[in-house]
Amino acid sequence: MITLTDVHKRYWTSRGEPHWVLRGITLAFPADRNTGIIGRNGAGKSTMLRLMSGLDMPTRGHVERTGRVSWPLGLTSSTVNRLTGRQNAKFICRIHGFEDEIKDRVDFIHAYSELGDMFDEEVRTYSAGMRGRLNFAIARAFEFDMYIADEGMGAGDAAFKGKAQKALRDTFKRSGLVLVSHNETTLKQFCDYAVWLHEGQAYSFDSVDEALKNYRQSIKA
Amino acid sequence: MADPHKLRTPLAITLSVWKALFMRQTLSRIAQDRIAWAWLIVEPLLHIGFLMWLYAVGIRSRVIAGADTGVFILLGLQSLFMLRNVWARGMAAVDANERLYAFRQIKPIDTVIMSAVSEGVLVCVIFLGFFLGAGLLDHPVVPADPLGALVAGVGLWLLGLGLALVFSVIASLFPEVGRITRLMMLPLYFASAVIYPSISMPHAILEVLLWNPVLHGIEALRVAFMPTYIIPSGITLTYVYSVALGLIFAGLVLHVRYRTRLMTTL
Repeated sequence: MITLTDVHKRYWTSRGEPHWVLRGITLAFPADRNTGIIGRNGAGKSTMLRLMSGLDMPTRGHVERTGRVSWPLGLTSSTVNRLTGRQNAKFICRIHGFEDEIKDRVDFIHAYSELGDMFDEEVRTYSAGMRGRLNFAIARAFEFDMYIADEGMGAGDAAFKGKAQKALRDTFKRSGLVLVSHNETTLKQFCDYAVWLHEGQAYSFDSVDEALKNYRQSIKA
Repeated sequence: MADPHKLRTPLAITLSVWKALFMRQTLSRIAQDRIAWAWLIVEPLLHIGFLMWLYAVGIRSRVIAGADTGVFILLGLQSLFMLRNVWARGMAAVDANERLYAFRQIKPIDTVIMSAVSEGVLVCVIFLGFFLGAGLLDHPVVPADPLGALVAGVGLWLLGLGLALVFSVIASLFPEVGRITRLMMLPLYFASAVIYPSISMPHAILEVLLWNPVLHGIEALRVAFMPTYIIPSGITLTYVYSVALGLIFAGLVLHVRYRTRLMTTL
């Protein structure tokens, strides 16, 4: 469960003027529902994702997380270029406290990412698709009560995409999800309901369709 | 893991993050950055070689204020290099590891502390190597007071950690400070009794130099190795530890105060 209470977020423009991205958002994301977040570019979707995952602090108000919440998948790459895929996998296993079962999990990531020998090469030599596969496999190696995800996750070629989609459907049946996406099919496939971000405010809708309708109208207007 | 829904305690999280960061930092320092790794050995070697040549040929002296010239220079240089490396690496760590803050478990301060630890361990390993070499060349490298040497060494490392903690925040808020700090290293080299015994300084200058805690640490370390080495009165490790703890405290306060600013570039 992630709870946002009266969350405000302000950024400074280059001219030193305040720009309020979020103006007083109070929302709860339950761990047994899948929520979609939609809104125009710059409406504050990524900012909200960053605040929810603890990557940034709200200017006012507070964010509370209970249970295991994932890092923001797909928002930034979770791997480091100068290390090999295996070293990256080990590092992330360690910070999540799986020192004892590190071998099993790294083997799982190796197999799941389908990287083969490239797993022991530095990540900077990977193609974009291979990076996406590694990131996805690392995320798959852990169980979270709630996932925070951007639409960028699960990239790769067609075969891997199919596998990723199936895995995601299974995972999100069991745990909660907050997904930011512009893709209507993705949203409808994974989300039970949606939140529409507009001019610093959040509007919840019981269905994804209804939220999308409002979103489309706002673009036309 | 027995219960997948059981959350770890903050301490357990911190410890696993520290271990992971230590492994990562040490590994990438050794394996990926080959030039930096070679420089860790080559720089002090060249430095020591040149200074020993200077003392042997220029000053025609094998003994400085009751100490073996080689050990005297080795201790002074390695101590200063450790302090400098811990300081510089720790200062750069906050920005260098920005992408890691995507993981909620990792805070900027963790990267500073573990850079300092990793750098300290590396310098210690190299230090031992040099000592082994100097010992084979018949220099008296066995410390007369091992515990005292350890206390002095740890004091210098803590000083480096304190500087790293304070300057990591300042350098990340004002990037110019990083460059100025690097310029400060040369005066520090001359003000820390690295290449001369502090007893050789005139009293008026010594009074000023004694404000420098690094000088206290280095001279105390030399005495712990060689009890015959002559130091001016007033050299004390208490001063080193007081300044170090003061800096660490200030650094921790700054990290708490600016925790949001350090995690984001905005």
